[in-house]
Amino acid sequence: MPAAPSPRQRAAEAPGPPVGSRAAEAPDPHAARGAGEAPAPGVYVHVPFCAHRCGYCNFAVDVGADAGLRRRYTDGVLAHLAAVAEAGPRALAPQTHHGGEAPGPGWPVLGSVFVGGGTPTLLDPGDLARLLTGLVEALPLAADAEVTVEANPETVDEASLATLAAAGCTRVSIGAQAFEPATLAFLDRRHDPEAPARAAADARRAGLASVSLDLIYGVPGQTPEQWEAGLDAALEAGVDHLSCYALTLERNTPYARAVALDGVPAPDDDVAAARMAAAGQRLRRAGLRRYEVSNWARPGHESAHNRMYWRGGDYLALGAAAHGHWQGRRWWNLRPTQRYLARVEAGQAPTGGQEILDEATRRAERLLLGLRTAEGVARAEVTPIDEEAAAALVAGGLLADDGAVLRVTEAGWALADGLAVRLLP
Amino acid sequence: MSYPLDRIRNFAIIAHIDHGKSTLADRMLQRTGLVEPRTFRDQYLDRMDLERERGITIKAQAVRMPFTGADGQDYLLNLIDTPGHVDFAYEVSRAMNACEGAILLVDAAQGMQAQTIANLYVAIEAGLEVIPVLNKIDLPAARPDEIAAEIASLLGGDPDDILAVSAKTGEGVEAVLERIVERVPAPATRDDGFTRALIFDSIYDSYRGVITYVRVVDGELRPRQEIRLAATGFHNEIDELAVLSPEPRPVDRLGPGEVGFFTAAIKEVDQARVGDTVTGHADPAPDPLPGYREPTPMVFSGLYPVDSEDFPDLRDALDRLRLNDASFTFEPESSAALGFGFRCGFLGLLHMEIISERLDREYDIPLVTTAPNVGYEVDLEERTRRPGEDATIRVSNPADLPDPSRIAEIREPVVDAMIITPSAYVGTVMQLCEQRRGSLDSMDYITEERVELRYALPLAEIVFDFFDRLKSGTRGYASLDYEPSGLTVADLVRVDILLNGEPVDAFSAIVHREKAYEYGKAMVARLKELIPRQMFDVPVQAAIGAKIIARETIKARRKDVLAKCYGGDVTRKRKLLEKQKEGKRKMKAVGAVEIPQEAFVAALSVGQD
Repeated sequence: MPAAPSPRQRAAEAPGPPVGSRAAEAPDPHAARGAGEAPAPGVYVHVPFCAHRCGYCNFAVDVGADAGLRRRYTDGVLAHLAAVAEAGPRALAPQTHHGGEAPGPGWPVLGSVFVGGGTPTLLDPGDLARLLTGLVEALPLAADAEVTVEANPETVDEASLATLAAAGCTRVSIGAQAFEPATLAFLDRRHDPEAPARAAADARRAGLASVSLDLIYGVPGQTPEQWEAGLDAALEAGVDHLSCYALTLERNTPYARAVALDGVPAPDDDVAAARMAAAGQRLRRAGLRRYEVSNWARPGHESAHNRMYWRGGDYLALGAAAHGHWQGRRWWNLRPTQRYLARVEAGQAPTGGQEILDEATRRAERLLLGLRTAEGVARAEVTPIDEEAAAALVAGGLLADDGAVLRVTEAGWALADGLAVRLLP
Repeated sequence: MSYPLDRIRNFAIIAHIDHGKSTLADRMLQRTGLVEPRTFRDQYLDRMDLERERGITIKAQAVRMPFTGADGQDYLLNLIDTPGHVDFAYEVSRAMNACEGAILLVDAAQGMQAQTIANLYVAIEAGLEVIPVLNKIDLPAARPDEIAAEIASLLGGDPDDILAVSAKTGEGVEAVLERIVERVPAPATRDDGFTRALIFDSIYDSYRGVITYVRVVDGELRPRQEIRLAATGFHNEIDELAVLSPEPRPVDRLGPGEVGFFTAAIKEVDQARVGDTVTGHADPAPDPLPGYREPTPMVFSGLYPVDSEDFPDLRDALDRLRLNDASFTFEPESSAALGFGFRCGFLGLLHMEIISERLDREYDIPLVTTAPNVGYEVDLEERTRRPGEDATIRVSNPADLPDPSRIAEIREPVVDAMIITPSAYVGTVMQLCEQRRGSLDSMDYITEERVELRYALPLAEIVFDFFDRLKSGTRGYASLDYEPSGLTVADLVRVDILLNGEPVDAFSAIVHREKAYEYGKAMVARLKELIPRQMFDVPVQAAIGAKIIARETIKARRKDVLAKCYGGDVTRKRKLLEKQKEGKRKMKAVGAVEIPQEAFVAALSVGQD
């Protein structure tokens, strides 16, 4: 049986502009590059399965799926992929296309794939590998494309990660959340505190180029010392990238009900702000750079896929509940797994809804996304803004404005949304 | 049918709120056969919904009841309903002047209240025959003997002579009607050939124009008659002449002593003012009836539409309200904090509440009402007077008070207040009055248990929460009445509130110098609670001129960002921010500080604790 072609081979065969042209540029994280310049498109694949639902989570997840459904889902996504690839990018863009270049009939070279969830690693490693290989075969992926798979630490080992690596995965994002039992218990996370470090080491041995951990701060009961110790533990695990998220009270979650009915404490914004500041200091000392509100990386390990989101890039949506964006059109797939599958298995588009963004809405999105990042947002992309508010925020030390680019200051990170609201015209 | 003068009895009922005035009136209507029980609506005489809800009467009306006495004669009883609140003291006095007698109705459980006594004095001053009646004698808590003794000690006379009724059951009502016939004098008339009728109420009706309630004193009124109103000079032909019994019934004549109403294409109540005299246009009486007074607002407040787009509608609504209430005034003003609105003058606090509730209810305009204040007179320092500026100016908005360096003297309105309290609470009441800069004029024991205190108090000290404090300090037993007694010099200063260093005019207040610090401290503390945290620290300061007397800091918001924002979150997040932006547009921006409308309302209205 011939070996599946590697992603790099596939991309080299793809027609169109030179492969990896973007990545060839020297990474310069401090420059506001990307501002006004379209990033390479990506693909998001949603895998909705979870072993259980965590109390704080409101994501599209499907608990208790059996192996049969998981396999069927893999096949469904691959069928969906085939249909999308076949239809070409013109089928994705808004019917009436304003601004920018009208999409050509062929696919541009894609810069990233992100398989998120849910818990993608609940799929059989072979199924996950089939998904990745299928993507590589159906679409022109850049030679240096970033291919991320999200993993829960208890669901992977060196062998399964090696299988993913062989199928083209370059990056794994491990849901550690915390390193002490009490906080993990509060969050309903069921892995043992040592599991994340084990998973990170396994990923390294499996040859993945970039390893990331997720942590959650502001969890009631967690002390500042425990939070700092968690950061240290993550750094000791030798990761290249850290995502640190403030615990957020989402509606319609068991946690929200417990807060409303049982007196369980809600997250406190001041506490969260203090933890966020502590993370900023600790991780900077460790040589990680904060490139987005909740994301830190060693130079060169920033997530290309997520950065594409924040730069307003285009991405395909595969899988139930996945969202896509293509040149001013946003759409989302049906959320219930069964309904999604029924559509794709029947050869129908599984779209659940869409919106076409007008110019003002696109500017608003650029503003709110760009202000989340260290590189900021080009004024040219967001003008007009409330200049009076901008001047006040600059004077207050929350916003930097060099006349071409707006970006948050160190003090402005935790207030990025508030800044965006005030700058909206 | 027409009644000779000696068969007419005009009377009012003096009673405290809830002492049963409307119920007694209802029973009288039923007893005299005017109202069928099945068409009966409780408290027939209180017409406006607002009145029904508050259980108080704010507009006087009159009802005509034929009654056959025990002597077999037919009498005409005219019940003239009077307003029941200190704010409408003048209207009360005019209604009393339209009568020859008054029933003093006292709750047999609660006893006389200050307001009742104040109105009793008005009746005595007007020369009315007073008939004391104890009500609610069927209540378990009734103390008829005790209360009768109390009344006798005030009025003189024999306690055993006091009638006792239960307006609720109707027991004793017949005896009251008999007593009216027996004791209330028949009306007198001068018969000098001139027509004089006293306006004791006027009500705006959108179909017929102003309905003017009158008591004819001399001469007569007829449909098509050319009449003139002495004070306003308005003249026109009488259109419709009628009596209420209790539904309107047209009549072709109202003679001396009779009570009824007319219409004459009068467009607003300001043209037919309470207390004015109706006379003939061709042959006006040289001497109108005495006692007419221009309405003078005592309490002022800024009314601002929550949504600035409602400003023209608010103007329209105020115009229309003034059509049927000549006693409030308004003129446009603008506030840096609140935008465009009106400075309105009211007779008192209840009057103010009624007007703003009517605006809200009848015109559906959400309003910000600034804290009430009184009107001041300010003598300017001669050397600081500008060309054309008066030596004395009137200030009805604290923000308009000149700089301290320009002020030679400030005078504030004072009132004579009467407080009746159980003797156990005298200490509490005196303490409250002293806190409010009151000076004791007299203290009299009505009975061993009940004390009447008279204080001179600055009006500004009672427009806020004095009444509530008085009530809570005496477990609800004390009652209050007051009447204006002129202006007096006071050491007053304006306390400004600054947010982020910028004064917020709507929060400025004129207070006594000795209370300025306390006021400033309380206000900045309240604002600190009410104003949400901003992007920056916001100092909240209270200042007299350039001197800061209190300060708090609203600490900056420390976190305002969603933790996760990836490909699937963009739409939801954008909508959230757009919603926040929309919310921000509804906020009042004072400098760089964004204040939600609700915080403004709360800061201005709760207050005064």
